[in-house]
Amino acid sequence: MGKEYEFTQIIKDNEGVIFKITTIYTNNQEDQKDLYQEIVYQLWKAYDSFRGDSKISTWMYRVALNTAITRIKKEKRRGNQIGIDKVVMLQTEQYDTAFEERLKILYAHIRGLNELEKGIMLLLLEGKKYEEIASITGLSPSNVGTRISRIKEKLKTQIIKK
Amino acid sequence: MELEEMQSIWSELSGQLEKQKKLTDKMIIMMTQDKFRSKINKIAYPELLGTIICFGSAILILMNLNKLDNWYNMISGIVSLLILIILPILSLTSINRMRKVEIATNNYKETLLSYAKRKKQFQTVTKWGYYLGFILMFTIMPITTKILNNKDLFSETKRVWPFLIAIPLAIVFFIVFSKWVMKFYNKNINSAESLIKELEDTGI
Repeated sequence: MGKEYEFTQIIKDNEGVIFKITTIYTNNQEDQKDLYQEIVYQLWKAYDSFRGDSKISTWMYRVALNTAITRIKKEKRRGNQIGIDKVVMLQTEQYDTAFEERLKILYAHIRGLNELEKGIMLLLLEGKKYEEIASITGLSPSNVGTRISRIKEKLKTQIIKK
Repeated sequence: MELEEMQSIWSELSGQLEKQKKLTDKMIIMMTQDKFRSKINKIAYPELLGTIICFGSAILILMNLNKLDNWYNMISGIVSLLILIILPILSLTSINRMRKVEIATNNYKETLLSYAKRKKQFQTVTKWGYYLGFILMFTIMPITTKILNNKDLFSETKRVWPFLIAIPLAIVFFIVFSKWVMKFYNKNINSAESLIKELEDTGI
């Protein structure tokens, strides 16, 4: 199996995860497309340095989240973009409106968190255990627990405000 | 919305996305190639163009230093020269540092911390660039007239009133514009600072 084949399989297996990360860290489709491409590119660049010390999913979340927070915002018109809108748009078009509405509220809540909390929240929603969240974020498992409690508090405050 | 409800929506979303996978091998390879090309373009154009203009102007001043035959022209020349050389170097260095955050090896906390620090540095450099740019606006005037037209702006200018209008206007513009710019930069620097503080307070 060639490196290229292995890599494309990893991306295909995790395209949904990349899509969710890009939705949380961007505010419009243009930025989302750009970030999607940037994450795939950074994963490709980092693939050689992946030695299997951690799980592939841990490595992937780490690179994807790091790319999302370090992306320097650019002007709107720039370069060509591969039509991932075909991927992303088809996915969202098929939802029913009620679900779409609930999803919007969920994203609004997450976007109200700070960068550190956003990452933790995403991993929590992805069903990651405290240990894995700790390994991706670099926090201790107990600190992850404290942060999650704070996030819950923050979410409650957001609901009260609304 | 409670966390449990969020988790249920998220899991529904994950299920929908899982069913609708669309990426092909070709699209993935094209994405990496296209991004690589756009990265080269991004580095090549805006930053290098600005640097070339600054360095070009600096070389022009340097080659004509002998024409600056009195103390105020000489001071203006040296100040302009320093700003035109130092500013692009500082700006390019800080942007480059921001780009060199170790995405592949750092964990999320390290990346956030490192990026926030570099972002703060970049914003500070940009803020100083703005102040220095304002100084440059004034220092470049006498040397431009001297180098390009061989005229001394202060002793050979017959009409003073254009300056009496232009200089106060430039100052007013600077004050208004600086307030707007500073508001933007301070907001960014403060948010970077609070993130750094929060992360440094967090024991691993």
